Amino acid sequence: MSEMLIERQFERQKDTLPGAFEPRKRALAAFLERGYPTRRDEAWRYTDLKPIAEAEFDAPAAADARTRERVRARVEETAPPADATRIVIADGLVDEALSTPPNEIALARLVGDERLDRIGRTAASAHPLALLNRAFARDGIRVHVAAGKAATAPLEIVLVASGNGRIAQHPRIVIDLERNAALDVVVRAIDLDDAEGWLNVVFDVVQAEGSRLRIFRLQEHGDRLDSTSFLSARLDKDASLVAGYVDLGGRVTRNDIDVELAGPGASADLFGVFVASPGRHVDDEIHVDHAAPHTRSETAFRGIADRDGRGVFRGKLLVRPGAQKIDARQSSDNLLLADKAEIDTRPELEIYADDVKCSHGATVGELDEDQMFYLRSRGLDADSARALLTFAFANVLLGRLEPAPLRERAVARVAGGLAGLVEWESLR
Amino acid sequence: MLRIRNLHVEVDSRPILKGLDLDVGAGEVHAIMGPNGSGKSTLAQVLAGREDYRVTAGTVELDGRDLLAMAPEERARAGVFLAFQYPIEIPGVNNAYLLKAALNAQRKARGLPEIDAFEFMKLIGAKLEAMQMSRDFLHRSVNEGFSGGEKKRNEILQMLMLEPRLALLDETDSGLDVDALKIVANGINSLRSPERAIVLVTHYERLLELVVPDYVHVLAGGRIVKSGDRALARELDERGYDWIQAEAAAS
Repeated sequence: MSEMLIERQFERQKDTLPGAFEPRKRALAAFLERGYPTRRDEAWRYTDLKPIAEAEFDAPAAADARTRERVRARVEETAPPADATRIVIADGLVDEALSTPPNEIALARLVGDERLDRIGRTAASAHPLALLNRAFARDGIRVHVAAGKAATAPLEIVLVASGNGRIAQHPRIVIDLERNAALDVVVRAIDLDDAEGWLNVVFDVVQAEGSRLRIFRLQEHGDRLDSTSFLSARLDKDASLVAGYVDLGGRVTRNDIDVELAGPGASADLFGVFVASPGRHVDDEIHVDHAAPHTRSETAFRGIADRDGRGVFRGKLLVRPGAQKIDARQSSDNLLLADKAEIDTRPELEIYADDVKCSHGATVGELDEDQMFYLRSRGLDADSARALLTFAFANVLLGRLEPAPLRERAVARVAGGLAGLVEWESLR
Repeated sequence: MLRIRNLHVEVDSRPILKGLDLDVGAGEVHAIMGPNGSGKSTLAQVLAGREDYRVTAGTVELDGRDLLAMAPEERARAGVFLAFQYPIEIPGVNNAYLLKAALNAQRKARGLPEIDAFEFMKLIGAKLEAMQMSRDFLHRSVNEGFSGGEKKRNEILQMLMLEPRLALLDETDSGLDVDALKIVANGINSLRSPERAIVLVTHYERLLELVVPDYVHVLAGGRIVKSGDRALARELDERGYDWIQAEAAAS
């Protein structure tokens, strides 16, 4: 029934969708074969997409002058990083007037670009939400860094929901790093006011030999926005990827990361922090595929849930036959602040080689009594000690965020009412 | 300043302290010695307010106030400081933040304004120097990845910053090499004053060569079984604890 809704939306929008129509139709048909994932599906056991599947969404429209001004103000107010070059994508459409593209790396808009299809040629194309993105994507960018080039400033991509109607947006970001190229990307997801809608973004990354990519993403949606993201990355020999996700807002949030370490020496460091405050649901589904020998990965996620907040982590480590000399580590640590809060974590290892170093661990718990006593014995009252330890739990990973202004914003948001904290954190 | 009468404490339903009496006056340094498992650490932790140690009988007064009725943070604000035998690691909180938060919580409780960033840096700079610790230390997480000796020094640094009225040092000398022991002892001695009292819990005599106590007590079987002066510590060092336990059993 919800599949009928999406078909109707496609019918209504098809004349306004840019570029070749056939690939969109194929993607939609592939999606419809299985429809929305349900909780019978292992990868979706704890996350119900019904609120998205059963909602009527509007198609995005180009921003009028007033909306653009408000978007500009919101982007500025949520600021960092200062020296970045910036691309603003509002309601799924690149806003060139608000963007300050870099001149040292090649950027192209993806309106009707055939490179949209690349993801359709990889295994990742089976992901239902990536298929919907392919069917409905109106815009996006392709970032291309030439061989041997290293971008001097991070590229900031700001994804904005304007709240002009209940909009479903499907931006697509394609990143190609040639041999030994290097790039930092900051992704910020924000809303105007209390925007309602759905952001379904796809990152399609291909890294050639020796290239280095770092993506740091801070999600600060309001209470009425649902957010799904899918990152697919394929790394050739000696390439490295760092991906750090911080989810602080949103109603339903689901992040998929799918990394293929395809060449020897490739390495991935994936980390994430979520705060599932009341009314929020956050689900991280992280897959690392060690397809070549001598590859390494570290996956470290931390979740905090309060009252009826709900968190989910599933990590899948796959070591393929013949992929020897692997170093793979995975950890999922979670903190419950209230009785009703719930976090489900499932680390999974699938290993088909014998000469490997793999470890995984998962914890779900409450604040440590010894730490509480230590802080209180120094004069902090119980509430302050609890707040500080909660912050500290997240801060262990927030400290890895770059650049500093982004880290400081994330720290400040998590620290909330802890006076003076940011000042001291910035002493690092 | 500190008055303990007939203190009985259970840990996991097991009686550990069984009627302990102790008086500590302002300006005094007391050493509490005793064999392993005699209840020395339990005493220190109970005085600091550890909640899972159950007081089943007895009273503890600090300057006439009922210490046992106070929360751990209230005791800290009243001037009690415990240097932990095993300092707790707190990843994600840096030392500078903890020191500042602790100092301000205590200042606030005494009606003093918060210390400003400049004054704080000046103060901490001097204390770091005294403890021969590098400034980078401020930006490291509390006790995380510290060596045993660094952790102990960190406890003394915190103590110097907080300037407690009653300092309880729980086996602060264990795990220290000779140089570190001297630095720690200097730190403790720098705090000696007519308004303050210091209680050293230890089972070695070597710290007491450097921080000379006014009184030495032997804790065995959950009670103070013998008290004396510094000579008692030397005797214990030479003869061990068996004779005292035998003596106590005989009486």
